[in-house]
Amino acid sequence: MNAFIDFIMGPMVWIAFLIFILGLIFKLVIIIKDVNDRESYIYSYLTLKHSLRSIFAWLIPFFPQSTKQSPVFYSISYIFHLLLFIVPIFLMSHIVLVNEAFQVSWVALDDGLADILTLVVIIALVFFAIRRYTVPEVKYLTSYKDYILILIIALPFITGFLAYHQFFLYKAMVIAHVISGEIMLILIPFSRFSHMIVAPLTRAYMGSEFGNVRHAKDW
Amino acid sequence: MKPWKRKSINRETKMKQKVIFMGFILFLFTAVVAFSNTELERLDNSVFEKPHRPGAVFEHDDHNEMAEIDDCAVCHHVYENKKLVEDESSEDSFCSDCHFLKANQENLISLEVAYHKQCRDCHFEENKGPVLCGECHIKE
Repeated sequence: MNAFIDFIMGPMVWIAFLIFILGLIFKLVIIIKDVNDRESYIYSYLTLKHSLRSIFAWLIPFFPQSTKQSPVFYSISYIFHLLLFIVPIFLMSHIVLVNEAFQVSWVALDDGLADILTLVVIIALVFFAIRRYTVPEVKYLTSYKDYILILIIALPFITGFLAYHQFFLYKAMVIAHVISGEIMLILIPFSRFSHMIVAPLTRAYMGSEFGNVRHAKDW
Repeated sequence: MKPWKRKSINRETKMKQKVIFMGFILFLFTAVVAFSNTELERLDNSVFEKPHRPGAVFEHDDHNEMAEIDDCAVCHHVYENKKLVEDESSEDSFCSDCHFLKANQENLISLEVAYHKQCRDCHFEENKGPVLCGECHIKE
């Protein structure tokens, strides 16, 4: 059993991170190549100014008009996206492992706070699932895959929460936690999770189209 | 009564029996856990100012008997100028005499890392023993 744990907590972590990072780079290259081959006219109006303006405008909470129209959804979405990164990166148990492997460490969240924030992430995901099922215009665009993706993000947080509290099946819970986290990382380049790099490209395109072509007061 | 209806009732009673049986097992399990709450032997972690986890569960003699370790120096090693001194052991001194709370130039391995690596690396090598955080840092 220890040999298996050694594998999922050793080489498999490297494999997962390599697929995650190289996969995203590969995806970016493919997209740029695709644009060059088929839609290179985009470059005639794509500008850095309009691209950056749109990217930054959408980074400011409740600055774009459509975010103001669904304040509840966007509030939850902003908090969720921040915590999705903050909780795992600043979790003490994770930092301890990084420190043992690379002799580097950084400030950690208080365990009690991290515990609550983990629940916030899980609740946000439940909200997203319910929203997909109940809001008609979202339901129309939803397939079973979207629920699977929600589950894939939820699993590392749920298993992490249960493992931390050592409620039951501790060993199985940690193994499930590690594996589900790795699956999540590996799937990022091959799923909608890739919006973490594709979204800025969309903004660059939209910002240039509305700012530089239509000269609309929009970003 | 129509046969298909009877069948469904049978299934229901069977289901009920199952639920009662599982409830009984759960009750037994809880009772055993509740009454077997004897104090576990743990490592002394009083050197740490604010320990984030309870001291690791470690029963020295039981461990060494089971692991068939007779040589103290297997764990209680002595390093001089960053080199292992063979045939010398350090069971008469504290781990924290050499491994400080924070790693420094004198000793690159902090007390916490020393403990984690000492136990876990061996458990990985031997392919037995606990290796996950909560397997040693069992909740109090």
